[in-house]
This record gives sequence, C-alpha cells and structure tokens, in this order.
Amino acid sequence: MLLVPCPNCGPRNSTDLRYGGESHARPDPNDASPAEWRAYLYLRDNPAGWLRENWYCASGCRRWFSVERNTATNEFREPPLPGDKRGGAA
Amino acid sequence: MLRVRCPAWWCIVADHRVSSDPAKSALAFESPVVCDNPASNGGGDLTLSDISSTVKWLVRAGAEGPAADLLDAQFGTSRAAAGGALVLGSRPGEWIVVGTASEVAAAVAGIDGLEEQEFCSALDWTHGRAMFRVTGASAPRMLEKVCGLDWSDHMTPDGAVVSASVALVTCDIARNDRDGVRSYLIFCDRSFGQYLFDALIDAGNEFGLSADATF
Repeated sequence: MLLVPCPNCGPRNSTDLRYGGESHARPDPNDASPAEWRAYLYLRDNPAGWLRENWYCASGCRRWFSVERNTATNEFREPPLPGDKRGGAA
Repeated sequence: MLRVRCPAWWCIVADHRVSSDPAKSALAFESPVVCDNPASNGGGDLTLSDISSTVKWLVRAGAEGPAADLLDAQFGTSRAAAGGALVLGSRPGEWIVVGTASEVAAAVAGIDGLEEQEFCSALDWTHGRAMFRVTGASAPRMLEKVCGLDWSDHMTPDGAVVSASVALVTCDIARNDRDGVRSYLIFCDRSFGQYLFDALIDAGNEFGLSADATF
C-alpha cells in the first residue's frame, strides 16, 4: 500500500487519491515560446529518483497538492503543509 | 433572505429562504433507501439507521473568513451550535450543517449578508445526500472492513469529521457518540445511498447488525 501524505488529511492510501503527474511550473502565456509550451504539455522527466508530483485528494479534502516522491522507492519527503502552493521547477 | 452566491459563476444564482419545511422543495422527501427487512434484529448491539430525511445544508466559503468564524468548526472537527444543529467541518472551507429545519435555519441564518465580505454559498442538501447513523461498540470494527482509516479513539475521537472512501464510495463521516456509545454519521451522494446501505449491512452482519430504514 502506498501512503500519500495529504497536507490536510494526513497519510492516506493512494487509492483515495488521484495521481496528477509531474509538477511543473506553468510558463507565462505572455512570453512563452511554442517550444516551452510543448515541453510543458508533453515532455516529462520521468526520473528514477526524486520527483515533485501533483496529487488530488479525491476521497478526502478534495484539494490538489504537490509532494516529492522517490519513484524508485516510493518514499515521500517534505510533506507539504496546508496551503502550500509550491509547484515544480519549470 | 439568504442570498446564495455561486463561487464558480461569480454571481448570485438564487435567493433562498430558510423555511421550516424539512426540504424546501414542494416535493415530498423520499428516502433513497429501501430496506428489504426493516428493523430486523441481528441480535447484536450494532444498529444502522437511515436518517436521510434529516435537514442538511452545505456551506462553502473561505477556510479563514467571516463565514468560518461564524460556523466555528475547523476542518476535521464538529460542534453543536447554540440552536442545536450539528456543524461539521467537512473540508477546508466547507461545512455541513445538520439538524431539524429550525436548528439548521438558526445556524446558517448568520451567513445572510456575508456575501458582501466574501464569496460564500449555502445549499440545501436534504434531497441530495443520503445519511446513515451507525451506533454500537462494534461500529469501529465494522467500519474497518469498508474504510481504510484508523477508527481508534486517539485518531478519531468523539466529534472528529473525516472524508474517505467507504466501500469505494466517497463519504463524509462524523463521529457523534450517543450517551457514551460509539456512533457515526455517514453521508454520501443520494444515488449511492442504496448501495452503501446494503454494503454496510453486509459489513455489519457478523456483529449482529440491526438495520432500520423506517424513516
């Protein structure tokens, strides 16, 4: 069982949440190039290691949050605090 | 007059008057649950009651603001309002108010006028949500079979409110003990009410569950 640390509900079974993919900062639509938009929409890092990703607490608080997970070990670190709006690097 | 503002559309979508009728609609309330064997006695101390006709209101507003101050129930907690209604902090910025029509009316009446200070909405959920009460010392054991949360006293004491998957249905659950006996209120969407009621009966059979759907 994968326990995901929701900032509002605490550790929850991953079946209670929806995976939202890698967390990347959204480019500024005023000056983003087509290549930047393409990278934001379609390209993923997919590392075997630490990755900041988005989760949606579907059965609990119904809030999105981002958290760092080691994709090789499923370990989580830096659990977000309530109201944490951090996203990943662009 | 309680003016209801829809946060999504940024406009006032309806004028609601909190009436003394359980459900303000002209439609008579009809329970989502049909129990094949109402008031059956399973021989144990565990009871499951369909109390879906209880008046239920949903209030949404900022997690910190005038509405939150008025309702005074933080996320994950509940309290009995002065008028007798039970206010549940079901999610950040979301509250469920349950009780009789007059109790709920008293609890949400103060929201009138707050829309000038923040976006907030108040909806009558009486018809839209099923509501069950599970009572008995075996209630935590029964819930453990259908829900992955920790129902021990230190994690979910009396007054705790959680949202979780119960038999794969997203539910709001409030611990609301009765005379020192474990008791839980379970809310889910009306359309899942019959399924969840049957699933809870299945889970509680081994504890001698008595089901009551006579409301």
